[in-house]
Amino acid sequence: MSARLGELVHRNGGLAGYNYAYMDESAKREVRRGLLKAISLPGHQVPFASREMPVARGWGSGGLQITLSVIEPSDTVKVFDQGSDASMNAIALRDLISRTCEVPTTTDPREATLIQTRHRIPEDPLVEGQVMVFQVPIADPLRRVAPRMTVSRRLHAERDYSAIWLYLYEDHARLGRSSFASAHPVEVEDRYIMTPSPIPRHDCPRLNDAPFISLFGAGREAIVYAVPPYTKVRPLSFEDRPFEIERFATGCALCGATDTYLTEVDGDANAQLVCSDTDRCARRRTR
Amino acid sequence: MKTIPAPAAIEPISVPSGTPCLELRDITVRYGRGCDHCRSGEMRAQRCTHCGSVYGCRDVSLDVWPGEVLGIVGESGSGKSTVLAVSNLDIQPTSGSVKLLGDDVSSAEGKQRRRLRALALGIVYQSAQANLLMDVTAGGNVAERMLGAGWRRYDAVRSRALALHTDMELPEDRFDVPVGMFSGGMRQRVQLAKALATSPPVLLLDEPTSGLDVSVQARILDLIRRIHAEFQLAIVVVSHDLAVIRMLADRLLVMRRGLVVEHGLTDQVLEDPQHPYTQLLVSAQL
Repeated sequence: MSARLGELVHRNGGLAGYNYAYMDESAKREVRRGLLKAISLPGHQVPFASREMPVARGWGSGGLQITLSVIEPSDTVKVFDQGSDASMNAIALRDLISRTCEVPTTTDPREATLIQTRHRIPEDPLVEGQVMVFQVPIADPLRRVAPRMTVSRRLHAERDYSAIWLYLYEDHARLGRSSFASAHPVEVEDRYIMTPSPIPRHDCPRLNDAPFISLFGAGREAIVYAVPPYTKVRPLSFEDRPFEIERFATGCALCGATDTYLTEVDGDANAQLVCSDTDRCARRRTR
Repeated sequence: MKTIPAPAAIEPISVPSGTPCLELRDITVRYGRGCDHCRSGEMRAQRCTHCGSVYGCRDVSLDVWPGEVLGIVGESGSGKSTVLAVSNLDIQPTSGSVKLLGDDVSSAEGKQRRRLRALALGIVYQSAQANLLMDVTAGGNVAERMLGAGWRRYDAVRSRALALHTDMELPEDRFDVPVGMFSGGMRQRVQLAKALATSPPVLLLDEPTSGLDVSVQARILDLIRRIHAEFQLAIVVVSHDLAVIRMLADRLLVMRRGLVVEHGLTDQVLEDPQHPYTQLLVSAQL
């Protein structure tokens, strides 16, 4: 396997001297081993040997290591950042992946087999066989309530989640709502509480019973976790205080969509709400 | 108490009749490996001169029945708090057995221990910091126990916490205030509300009024007596203050250097102490 992939490196001007997909085969295998365990235990945080990457830790090195470990020459890759395919981070990662892996890239999530993302899930419905790779800054949903990892690991093991429920109680007592704007904790398959990475609340319900695979990588913290297809993912909420997604007064100022997650652009006087998923927004406008 | 919603969402823990709520048998807590010398039982010192092992307590037995208050007195370092920590399943005894509601829980760990702590035991410490989260509201601190026991309805949790809050004679307008801003006496009341949140059959009190001024002490003790009368709990109260013990306890253990030196009905022990140490304790007054 490694020899066959290794031959691919020099075709189409790949990076000379580097292995296929940048990482060496044993490093990729180590990541995949972690991912197999993560998929077997949905929502469970699995430590892995996070490598130095040609991007700084905190800039998507966890997601990148997952992408490079599972990628094959037949894949089509989309990389986007906060809904945008044109952000610096997305461009840099896409460039690295396409040059070291010899794969075509796309901005259309419907064409992609592998989608690396920072903080969004594409608005287009994804299908079976697609793989989402999330860049995760903070892997532990209990970080706010149990900063010590030794404590937090025990709490996860014993399923002792009263601290995070207390956090939610305090939110409702003080604010009348949950204070999680993004990265709203979710309960996976009635077992682990997991952070879905800082996706907006809009995207949380879309992880539930999803046909695609979700792989999460935190490079700085050296943690991977996963949600396999068709897995129960429930945002944490009290039975009588249902989870709510963001509501917007208007639709997208560009494409008019009313069912998407919107972000404010052009600040101050010219502020307007537009789709955060720029690719879908552009497609709607040209149609 | 009629106004306090029952803990319906929780699968209640049943109290079997005909057995004590809490039963300790020959509890020994040893720190260190121990050696033939100190294991033999002839050694009565707390620290073994041969191997250096320290005994938190030795061969302590006690039982508490529903509706009964057991007092434990003794000087600092006599093992009172060790016995209470064993009762609260905080530390596992080196030898001996702990029975809670008739079940042997000596080696309870993880999930089982958490469930027992959530449903069967309530505890109040001298220092509120040990039990309460200072930057969390009074209501939140009480709610935490219910959330830990599996309540998932916000309104039910909140209304029960508020009912307990007012029942502990705390002002309603302090319900959503962090307990770090509370006085010492109020913190003890919040601890009591928290301990009672899941209606546990056993309540453990570790020096509940030490460090409070005398007028506040008296009111907290009145409150504990009222709780005892209303809920018919089995209570273990640890104190170095004989006045507290005299006021609350039906029966009494006197501990010294990790050993129980005398036990009996409170009045009997305090009026007619047999052991020289108890005699000293009773006669010692500032």
